[in-house]
Amino acid sequence: MSDGAEELLQIRRFLKERLQRDYTTFRGHDTERENIRQLLQRTAEMAESNSLLLIGPRGVGKTTLINAVLTDLLNNPDFIQNTLVVHLNGYLHTDDKLALKSITIQMQLENACDGKVFGSFAENLAFLLECLKAGDKRSKSVVVILEEFDLFCAHHNQTLLYNLFDVSQSAQAPICILGLTCRLDVIELLEKRVKSRFSHRQIFLFPNADDFSEFVKLFETLLKIPNERELKKHAERVASLKLLQSNQLTFHRNHYDPGKYKFNKRITDRWNKHIDALLQQNNVRQALQSLFDYDVSEAGLKIFIYRLVAQLQNHPGRTQVTSEQITQLISSYNNDTKVEILCGLSILEMCLIISMKHHSEIYDRDPFNFEIIYARFNKFAKVSTGMQNIERGVVLKAFEHLRNLELILPIASCASKVQKEFEMHKLALTYGQIHQAVQRYQVLPTEVTQWSQSSLI
Amino acid sequence: ATKRVGTPKRNIHMSNIVEEMIFDKQDVLSTPKLKSKRSLAFGKEKDIEKILLEVTPKKPVEETPKRVQRSNSKYVKDSETPKTPSQKLKMIRSGELTPSFKEREGIEHSKLSKNDLQLARERLHVSVVPLSLPCREKEFENIYTFLEGKINDKCGGCMYISGVPGTGKTATVTGVIRALQKQVQEDMLPAFDYLEINGMRLTEPRQAYVHIYRQLTGKTVAWEHAHALLEKRFMTAAPRRITTVLIVDELDILCNRRQDVVYNLLDWPAKTAACLVVVTIANTMDLPERVLMGKVTSRLGLTRLTFQPYTHKQLQEIVTGRLGGSEAFKGEAIQLVARKVAAVSGDARRALDICRRATEIADSSKGKEICVNILHVQQALSEMIASAKVQAIKRCSRLEQILLQAIAAEVTRTGVEETYFMGVYTQFESIANFVGGILVPNTGQVLRLCSKLGAERLIICEHTRNDIFQKILLNVSTDDIHYALRVTPEATQ
Repeated sequence: MSDGAEELLQIRRFLKERLQRDYTTFRGHDTERENIRQLLQRTAEMAESNSLLLIGPRGVGKTTLINAVLTDLLNNPDFIQNTLVVHLNGYLHTDDKLALKSITIQMQLENACDGKVFGSFAENLAFLLECLKAGDKRSKSVVVILEEFDLFCAHHNQTLLYNLFDVSQSAQAPICILGLTCRLDVIELLEKRVKSRFSHRQIFLFPNADDFSEFVKLFETLLKIPNERELKKHAERVASLKLLQSNQLTFHRNHYDPGKYKFNKRITDRWNKHIDALLQQNNVRQALQSLFDYDVSEAGLKIFIYRLVAQLQNHPGRTQVTSEQITQLISSYNNDTKVEILCGLSILEMCLIISMKHHSEIYDRDPFNFEIIYARFNKFAKVSTGMQNIERGVVLKAFEHLRNLELILPIASCASKVQKEFEMHKLALTYGQIHQAVQRYQVLPTEVTQWSQSSLI
Repeated sequence: ATKRVGTPKRNIHMSNIVEEMIFDKQDVLSTPKLKSKRSLAFGKEKDIEKILLEVTPKKPVEETPKRVQRSNSKYVKDSETPKTPSQKLKMIRSGELTPSFKEREGIEHSKLSKNDLQLARERLHVSVVPLSLPCREKEFENIYTFLEGKINDKCGGCMYISGVPGTGKTATVTGVIRALQKQVQEDMLPAFDYLEINGMRLTEPRQAYVHIYRQLTGKTVAWEHAHALLEKRFMTAAPRRITTVLIVDELDILCNRRQDVVYNLLDWPAKTAACLVVVTIANTMDLPERVLMGKVTSRLGLTRLTFQPYTHKQLQEIVTGRLGGSEAFKGEAIQLVARKVAAVSGDARRALDICRRATEIADSSKGKEICVNILHVQQALSEMIASAKVQAIKRCSRLEQILLQAIAAEVTRTGVEETYFMGVYTQFESIANFVGGILVPNTGQVLRLCSKLGAERLIICEHTRNDIFQKILLNVSTDDIHYALRVTPEATQ
């Protein structure tokens, strides 16, 4: 039995690691991949200058695609020797100053030393441009990867973009600029002279939204354990990542390593067969369909599978992925978090929410303040049996608690100067949510439930 | 900045240009300290000679100082003199260390191994500027006569060139300069200095002084100092002063609120001592009237030239000119590119890029005949001009599509472009119920869908902090949504 437990642990670890740390496997989109690979190869071999924008929604695998292409090219000694990869991210390099320093360090220019750059911003820019100008077809190619490209467009005057694109369009050092962004209209963000210098190659990367069977197949491949031959092939590819010399692209350091794992053939067969059987079941397919309806991206599916795999345990009945687990997990996706917050409120706070609902229903979602709600609540409290002697201060505290939970939102325009009892608020809940909460609330007094049905007392 | 003033001052003694008028010969001779310091660093007699050669003034300024410095820097690299980073920085500032770039290790691909398409692609690259620009002869003539006249007369002047990007402004001007320099070499024209700055390459307008000064002397100083030195150079009369031609690209970036930089650049030519000719280049035709102050506009003068966008005939000529005698392109393919680009922007860069992409497509299609035909060009055009919004809507998940429909429905219901989340959610619920077979998601999930579509810019929405009160704007037309969703196979069934 302990042997089986060991195996299970290994399977779980393998699956988790492959889900989280496999940065270089990219599935599908062969034409796009080939296109980028050829572009980079031409930059490296023939010293062509190019620019390209990779556009696609979040979670579709833009970064993975670039990583995969770089991994492909690593087998080509020409590429490693003749290119410098410079990697920038719009969230990290928030202005041109930082970006320029990072470029200087990554290109190991003469004014950089051990990650420190000397001189002012203006000097750095001038030096970088002169270096690039000094280069020609015989100098190394530079591949600049700009992640979150749309944020670089927000920099002052777009100086960095202009200069990078200008180098790519003049007889200087060969450079290839790869922009990655999720905004479809990113070209309209460019200034007209920057836009003119950009070569207008755009590659769009969209998920497979019209093919549910592909989605199921992806689910299958992500859950199944590969056979020995495939594992070996993967391991070789991962080993080649060591050749990557960039200090900024660090995905090779902590990459998932299939070489570490060895599976008993009997056990993997059993596991894979079970997955096959699972996919035949109707409720599993339905659950996946509802996930697919909501989110078609691979990233969403991976998170889902991770949560599944994390439930594997060495207890009887938990050693396999079951259909009940899948359906349960899907239904947890549909839980309304706001209703859950509402169910955790005290009865007094619930009463306040109900009076807010009454006020909103009567006055068609007009804003309210504490006094209005307190008056309405008091009307109820007087005739109720359990709410009669609650002090005003306590109710105010409850009101503030609701405000801190952001179930009610202050109207921004009349801030600060107004006393807090008179500050106007709006209700950030739909009536349906309140209704649900009233029904699901544990031990809500009948009085309150009845009051919530109608505002007449 | 004041701290740095001390160091470059010493360097100025070494400079070959400013020394002429600021300091007399004796001053130069009285700075042996510096020379000896240098000679210690190099440690060879030969180099002292070299330095002396560098110090001795006057030669055609165009390239010589650079060449001398380059040989110096090479020498420094060879002899393993210790270079701490700060020493290096000092050398960069004084212009002794020229920037270099890492060389390739592999062997260059020989030209012989390239096929017709690859050769064509190389020639079509925007960076390969031809010696004489086709279709810009008149503009060339115009600028040439202006500059030639100014150089011959030894007087200053200004010129303003405008035109949309990609119409050959900078290429024509540099072409004129090249032609003039050739004339100088043949002794047909008095010698002149050539400086250029680009507004977009500066971090702030005042850096223009630094760049101009560095091109004159090779040294980097703070802008206040550079400004003072340039003032001195242009204000004081000097015998044997040769004309300086200054090209200012992207003039609009140099315009700040005070406009002191533009004013200075355009004021110097008005001084008799300066012999400065300024050619300014920008995109908008009415920039002097719109942005610049009155006194600056008046100094800019009325010598203006506008570059019209290329027509389809001109674009065709440019592309065929680039291709030379190559048979890589079909005639109608070039014509299609020219007509499409001329209709949109008349940008030569765009036409060349599209042609280049077409050669790539032809290359990868593995057709027997290596020739770009009209189909390849059509594919390239659709890749580079078409927008992908319809495609993006088609590839959204089902609920996202319903959300887009709901927003469109809310827009038609209210008649206002701006919708609120609550109204959209009501529409969403009813559409989802109507379609059937879907678990209607709660507000939290729909808000997530909203922000996802917002990230792609299919819709424009506020921060999710506003919760169910956020405003939502449709960034695609409702027709696009209907078109995209009508033609999906699901809808037709």
